Amino acid sequence: MIKTKRIAIAILFFVSFSFAQKEVPMPTDLPPYGAERPLRPPSVHSAKLDNGLTVWLVSEPGFPKVAFTVAVQGGFAADPADLPGISELLSKTIDQGTKARTAKQIAQELQAAGGDLNASSKKDFIEVSTAVLASKMDAGIAVLSDILQNATFPDAEVALAKRNLSDSLRQSESEPSFLARRALAKVLFGDHPYHVTTPTQESVAAATSAGLRRIFTQRFRPDQVILVAVGDLDEARMMELVKAKFGAWKALGEPPIPVPTRPSSTPEHAVFVVARPGSVQTTLELGSFGPLRGDPDYEATEVANAIYGGTFSSRLVSNIREDKGYTYSPSSNLNTYRRAGALVTHADVRNEVTAPTLNEINYELNRLATTTPTDEELTKAKRYLVGSEAIQLQTRTALSGQLASLWVDGLPPEQISIYGQKVSNTTTTEVEAASKKYFPAFRTAIVAVGEERVIRDELAPFGIPVKTLQ
Amino acid sequence: MNVFQFKRCGSLLSVIALMTSVAAQQWQAPTAMRRLANGITVVVSEDHSAPTFGVCVSYGIGFRLEQEGRTGFAHLFEHMMFEGTPNAPKGVLDRVIEGGGGLNNGDTRYDYTEYIETAPVSALDPVLWIEADRMKTLDFSRKNLENQRNVVEEEVRVNVLNRPYGLFFAIDLPGKAFDTYPNAHNFYGDFKDLDTAKIEDVQKFYEQYYAPNNAVLAIVGDVQPDDVFAKVDKYFAAIAARDTPRRANVDEPPQKSERRSTETDKLAKVPALAIGYRMPPRHSPDALAGAVTGELLHNGQASRLYQALVKEKQVALSVDGGLNWPLGTPYEFNGPTLMTSFVVYPPNVSEDQLLAAYDSTVKELIDKGPSQQDLDRIVAKMRSDWYDQLEIPISRASALSHAVLFDGNFDRVYQIPGDLAKVTPAQIRAFAAKYLVSTNRTIMNRVPAQREVQAEKNGGGGQ
Repeated sequence: MIKTKRIAIAILFFVSFSFAQKEVPMPTDLPPYGAERPLRPPSVHSAKLDNGLTVWLVSEPGFPKVAFTVAVQGGFAADPADLPGISELLSKTIDQGTKARTAKQIAQELQAAGGDLNASSKKDFIEVSTAVLASKMDAGIAVLSDILQNATFPDAEVALAKRNLSDSLRQSESEPSFLARRALAKVLFGDHPYHVTTPTQESVAAATSAGLRRIFTQRFRPDQVILVAVGDLDEARMMELVKAKFGAWKALGEPPIPVPTRPSSTPEHAVFVVARPGSVQTTLELGSFGPLRGDPDYEATEVANAIYGGTFSSRLVSNIREDKGYTYSPSSNLNTYRRAGALVTHADVRNEVTAPTLNEINYELNRLATTTPTDEELTKAKRYLVGSEAIQLQTRTALSGQLASLWVDGLPPEQISIYGQKVSNTTTTEVEAASKKYFPAFRTAIVAVGEERVIRDELAPFGIPVKTLQ
Repeated sequence: MNVFQFKRCGSLLSVIALMTSVAAQQWQAPTAMRRLANGITVVVSEDHSAPTFGVCVSYGIGFRLEQEGRTGFAHLFEHMMFEGTPNAPKGVLDRVIEGGGGLNNGDTRYDYTEYIETAPVSALDPVLWIEADRMKTLDFSRKNLENQRNVVEEEVRVNVLNRPYGLFFAIDLPGKAFDTYPNAHNFYGDFKDLDTAKIEDVQKFYEQYYAPNNAVLAIVGDVQPDDVFAKVDKYFAAIAARDTPRRANVDEPPQKSERRSTETDKLAKVPALAIGYRMPPRHSPDALAGAVTGELLHNGQASRLYQALVKEKQVALSVDGGLNWPLGTPYEFNGPTLMTSFVVYPPNVSEDQLLAAYDSTVKELIDKGPSQQDLDRIVAKMRSDWYDQLEIPISRASALSHAVLFDGNFDRVYQIPGDLAKVTPAQIRAFAAKYLVSTNRTIMNRVPAQREVQAEKNGGGGQ
């Protein structure tokens, strides 16, 4: 749970604010923005080995680190129906031993290279990554290639990981955001494989070393994997290294797992209560379906979301945080998977303002869906999205992760610059269309985590069904 | 099939890569510093890898110097810095920065309060203007104070009151480990103190501490130093220097014996232990050995505590911690701090069992010290972690500004990797023997309230 140092417990005292409703004029002596300097898209050198392994390399000399990201097709959505979320156990144990190395040796060799292994399961894929000192990248790639081809899932390590995962699941179940996320996926996706966000106590208990090895063999085959490396590397030399370390890798298992279909149903517009006794806040999470990254209205939906709640100067944050002071942490995001998109609004609010907050969220959703945004809002949202893409890709680790996730979704590396151009060219009409299609409040399913009696009393006046999730 | 496509010609790149690999052992970015007549210090570090910049304005005021009866005030005040000025009313700052494609934030720590922005370089002038504008004066409005008091109290609810463990290892542990108000008080603020904070307090605090001579402005990114110095001069030179309060004595009387306590937690489902050892001052010859010891014990799966407690003895679920953790890096503090361990452990393990395993890990370090190989490994990791800090423009700006605030120069930022390599196994052993002793520590055990009821409820697992 509390594994990633300095990220997990980065206690940022977050502040920001805004004011979109009654906008004051800009100060007269405020200097204008200067000339735009275009984002230099990363120069990606792509290759495919004879065994089907995809390799994308980006040489960024000058800073002494190299980031590696490996993505393997098939995540939670590919897990066997009787072992939901088992990919998480697989990602927690993949570095716990190979034919040549013990778990401790793996951790120590990576540490000596300046790295840590991060492995995690997403809906569509398993990601394995590390960032090492450039001077020690040979050692880093040696460990990485060993894990990806030769993980053994030793019985003792799997037994320990099962116990720890069971306890940390119990710990997660005390976190309102974990409960909200899990409930929303269930409500949005129903029986579709995307409803899985985490293993269950039963699936953890039922897992075995042999079962993990079977899933590993099935999914970890070179033609279903991408290796991305970004940093102070020489492309030709890195390519030789990759061939030497991965060239002999062969697919052994059954055919690759199938890609899920796109969910077609609309979620029920109702409140789904997750009881959490002792809560001093209600955690609200509203979800509706949105576009995929490759859909023609994806960029317009991102712009609409930035105007609605995706930035600190957005309408929602201005309203429920800066004007009303209901919440510290409102946000809205467009989450995309290979075959689904989900628009999610999140706010933790003190118990007694649960109803007023939902009222304002509904208002802002419907306002976006029914009225035209101002030119300033549109311009600001577009500049924000283009700028924040450049900012997010400042690190080698972020760039390698972004490239790997594009490959998972079947998109080319050029998508990074295509996205910026499409955002910049988005028109008011396109934003209006996307807002009308995806944002109306009646399209949302509403999850509320907290004191059940408080939530039921507060939300009764909305007149929509209130159901308790078990 | 071998598809091998170079999207850009690579021959020149390989030459550059070779040169930088050699230089990589002591990486340093071109960095320049200047002080204006009004006392503001400006640091500029170039990074032309992306057309963006990060700026950090750090003020020499944090939790440690807040007045008694005003717990949480430095942080509440930080929120007020985003509430507008007479010249740029509430809302303008964010519209300017986000409209310029950027992000902004602020954070308050023991020894500084920092304001950070990152954006495409086209927004550099407006962002500097905004920072200068709020260094001149603020909109001291009661309505804004009331609004931010609510926001801060929601922040405390979401991070402390409604969260298992409630950050007790960061808030309650120093409260028990230290004896004087500056180091021991609740930095997030007691609600009774937050509720009684007045707009006059905001005004006075601003006048005392938010002066140019108490600030360091650092910029990292696709910029030229002379150009930045000229811009800072243009926007900041007219702000007058002011007298700032003499820094209060924040030293602690020595700890004489171990301190232990147990608390219940109504939201946690498994117990957790926090252990804090008092650490030497940042400038002490022991400080760097302390930083390395902290990482040797806590950094990742290769760490001694993880290997001993989670893997070998299986008495813990997770281990985290380090020197000055979790409110900063092991190098950035300017007063009494702790080496903290935060251990989550399974309900079927007792506090004593866990502590015995912990103590034997520490004892082994004291008795035998690390091998040179152990040390080389953790030093490589610490160098790598520090480079991560320096990779992102906004966090490099932050590190540079803290160094200048504490030391008057930024040399330390680039010296850390080299200095780490000089630490010896004997120094680690001596450090552990001197500081990692029971009389120098405070232990807090946090156990779930109504454990049986909780366990029963979760027996069914799943959804």
